[in-house]
Amino acid sequence: MRALAALCAVPLLGAVTLEECREHKRRGRNIEAKDCFVQLVSSRDAYLQAEAFWALGDYSTANERFRSAVATKPKDPLVRVRWGRMYLERGQRKEAGELFSEALEIQNDFPHALIGLGYLASSNFESKAVELAEKALNKDPKLYEAREMLARFALEEYNEKRAMEEADKALAISPEALDALMLRATIEWLNERDGKQWIQRLEKINPNYGEGYSMAAGILVINRRYEEGIELYRKALSKTPELLSAKAELGVNLMRLGHEVEARKLLEECYEAHWRTAAVTNTLTLMDSYKNFVIFNQGRIILRVHKKEAELLRPYFEAELERAVNTFEKKYKLILDRPVQLEVYPDHEDFAVRTMGLPGLGALGVTFGYVVAMDSPSGRQPGTFHWASTLWHELSHVYALAATKHRVPRWFTEGLAVHEETAVNKEWGDRLDPTTIQAIKDKKLLPIATLDRGFVRPSYPQQVVVSYFQAGKICDFIHEKHGWDRLLAMLHAFGKGRPTVEVVEEFTGLKHEEFDKQFLAWLDAKTGEQVKGFDAWRKSIRLANELRKAKKWDELIATAEPMVKQYPDHVEPGSAYEALAEAYEEKGEKSKAVSVLESYAKTGGRSPSTLKKLAKLLEESGKVRQAAEALERINFVYPVKDYEYHQKQGELWLAIHENAKAVREFAAVVALNPVDAGGSYYNLARAYRAAGQLDKARDTILLSLEAVPSFRPAQKLLLELQ
Amino acid sequence: MAPSAQMGWCLKLPLLLTTLAGLHASTWHVTISGLGGEAAYETRFNALATESEKLLKSSPDSNVKTLAGADATKANIQKALAEIAKTAQPADTLIVTIIGHGNFDGTDYKINIPGADVTALELGEWMDKISAQKQAVINTTSCSGASIDALKRDHRVIVTATKSATERLATQFPRFWVEALRNPEADTDKNEQISVLEAYRYADRRVTDFYETQKRLATEHAMIEDTGKASGVRTPSPDNGHGLLAGQTVLIRFGSLQQAAKSPEKQALLKKREEIESNIEKLKYEKAAYDVATYRKQLSTLLVELAKLQEEIDK
Repeated sequence: MRALAALCAVPLLGAVTLEECREHKRRGRNIEAKDCFVQLVSSRDAYLQAEAFWALGDYSTANERFRSAVATKPKDPLVRVRWGRMYLERGQRKEAGELFSEALEIQNDFPHALIGLGYLASSNFESKAVELAEKALNKDPKLYEAREMLARFALEEYNEKRAMEEADKALAISPEALDALMLRATIEWLNERDGKQWIQRLEKINPNYGEGYSMAAGILVINRRYEEGIELYRKALSKTPELLSAKAELGVNLMRLGHEVEARKLLEECYEAHWRTAAVTNTLTLMDSYKNFVIFNQGRIILRVHKKEAELLRPYFEAELERAVNTFEKKYKLILDRPVQLEVYPDHEDFAVRTMGLPGLGALGVTFGYVVAMDSPSGRQPGTFHWASTLWHELSHVYALAATKHRVPRWFTEGLAVHEETAVNKEWGDRLDPTTIQAIKDKKLLPIATLDRGFVRPSYPQQVVVSYFQAGKICDFIHEKHGWDRLLAMLHAFGKGRPTVEVVEEFTGLKHEEFDKQFLAWLDAKTGEQVKGFDAWRKSIRLANELRKAKKWDELIATAEPMVKQYPDHVEPGSAYEALAEAYEEKGEKSKAVSVLESYAKTGGRSPSTLKKLAKLLEESGKVRQAAEALERINFVYPVKDYEYHQKQGELWLAIHENAKAVREFAAVVALNPVDAGGSYYNLARAYRAAGQLDKARDTILLSLEAVPSFRPAQKLLLELQ
Repeated sequence: MAPSAQMGWCLKLPLLLTTLAGLHASTWHVTISGLGGEAAYETRFNALATESEKLLKSSPDSNVKTLAGADATKANIQKALAEIAKTAQPADTLIVTIIGHGNFDGTDYKINIPGADVTALELGEWMDKISAQKQAVINTTSCSGASIDALKRDHRVIVTATKSATERLATQFPRFWVEALRNPEADTDKNEQISVLEAYRYADRRVTDFYETQKRLATEHAMIEDTGKASGVRTPSPDNGHGLLAGQTVLIRFGSLQQAAKSPEKQALLKKREEIESNIEKLKYEKAAYDVATYRKQLSTLLVELAKLQEEIDK
């Protein structure tokens, strides 16, 4: 390519035009296109040279030429836009955004710059992507690329009707709009039709349009049709083997479904070819880190955990996986045809690599068919993450996706998943939070007909979180009115590709507008008091904090008691429950403190320190079982790094002869490798003995004495076991 | 058997004999609690000094002197150590604990106290005059890592809260050090005494956990030096030759060990116990040479023998 650059010094007259070269490319005449661009390299115009080098894959030289072109044509917005498009193609979004913005400073409604910014916004699934495309169209109604963009955005939001309309409008402007034809084919594929008529039309124009198949693949992936997306990426590469963006996406998606060998091969090829986007490098780095993970294969479930916490987490995670699979097999009436694989990441950045490029996902867990990835509790601050709720949430997706061959709409699978969190245990799942209260007050809940958009292209920053809440409540509403079997029937109806409004009408007996009304009335009955009390609650927070600091307990009680009634769902750090309990405890009214903290726990409060306090108070009042149960709640939140609470929990279970639980907890202490190794093995040996597992008791007491030969209690137990 | 393992086994024997011999010797504790600067630090340092004094006094044969606040002057410190020099015997142990703020001016480490500060060099010189053969300096202050080179010598353990002078912020180490003195969990070998090594490992671990749980960058890294030759290590082990002296230097005793050693009838049993414990250590160091079943059987036999013997001792 550098040799080609040298040719620039020799101008050639009567050479080809950019339009000619593009036409060859557009028609899939790749050899002619290449020859054309090679000739274009010799143009005297730096901009044309830039376009040529870009088309030939010499990005570095293209970059230099674009820089020269901008210097020689500083007032031409198109040069900057095209330069920006090259950066966008290479995943360098910041540079692309700057260039599009500079183009708009030259001409404030330059449509191609608006389109560029639209692509940028769409890569982050921002709602302004649609606005930008529409603005571009206002300026240039013939800009069919903008119509194609709108069609694509609509498909990402599961709005096939609008997608078809926009694609047809693009084709009305230009019957050879390639992306519009491909989008029409994609709509067919989403509905399990062959799309032949559109592909035939497209291939008459360009039989080698790999870029189009790659675009279609991306849409299928966003619709969670991963297997089909993978096939389309393969098709894209068969048409355009040098399309590295498609190769990278194929690799990433193979990795999502657990096909790691092929994924690595493809991603390494991209890396070697200097296609080093964040997705490629981060995924390869993640795959390198897998050597630090341990895999436990139990047939139906496969658990992948980091070796530093495998021994500790395995019993807890396997127990919940088994429980969830057993429950969902019955509820969904479905036995999966392959194992579920759960990956648990202590480093949130590794987990984030798994979710890269997908819209509106929870920050805690993600499901790709049979592979589930989630954060480890060790990767989060204590009390902020209920891992068991997330596990059940994600497992529910596995079943919903399998039951519907991935055709379930986004809102419904998320709604079911949120519903399942509290179906398994009322204390689990998330409570009504201030963001959602505000959304309810501002009447920002979406109609059920368009709820999917809240997940894919949020129109305000917290809309994804609010949409999760709303979807969950909708499922709760239907469950309450019609029972679980109705929800299951709706799931199967969605599996046949039926749209939301139709399914809602058939299975609830209500038109979607009436459904919305009745749902909102039901929701108001459930949450109205808290929504009304929210402002008063918020005003009291500062006062409560000041009274707490000043240790004015009587006044704090008078302030905090109404706060708990105004907003009982608030169990976040610094809750009124905790303030109230502290006040009661300081005044010596321990039974009231216990009562408040029990309410806190039953409402889903998950601060480990608060739950430990509850356990201590319960133990002091002789309620050993309740004390153990209070500590057991922490197992589902933050079982890591704190051996003392496991030890205390073990002692409590042992005291009331819940020996299996005592074994579990003392084993956790051992796994946490405390300084007192002898003591921790000794306790585990005691628990094994109580559970009648004498062989394990003997083995473990030897471990205790191996660490600490002089340990008297362990010596005594050894002799007893002899 | 690897040389380091052999060394570890052979030297374990003198440790136990020393323990028995040392039971009739005294331990001299001098705790210096320096200036806090701010009220919160003053309160914290004084509280730690008070608690430390209470715990150390509970150990038999301990002589405890605490110099805190206005009393912690250069003259008083020198005087306290000079008094000990008049009375201490070679079989005794001397432990100086420093709580407070330290600083390093590029040349000398100094303890912040009322009036003129004391340098590490000065402290070392005063301690050199004391004949107690086993000595330890537990420096829990900021910048304490800078005191190692000035204080180190044969038969002296140095524990510092920081690895160097650059770690200048107030440390968490002292509160976990004092916690080690009262928490039976620190007695990892369950021999009813807390050695400097056990307390160091306990406190270091707790400090690490503190910063991890708080998701804060650790601004202190404890060190230990007991070879007289090096500049301290983070993790003492037979592999790096550190920890042997620290494991032999007892901070605090409790329980039945002290009582048993006073009975002539039990001394023969204690001697036998030593032998079995040595054999257990030898077996552990040679573990790699055995298959699992043989190792387990031999270990089990020795441990049962030890347990039965302990039953006799405890009668």
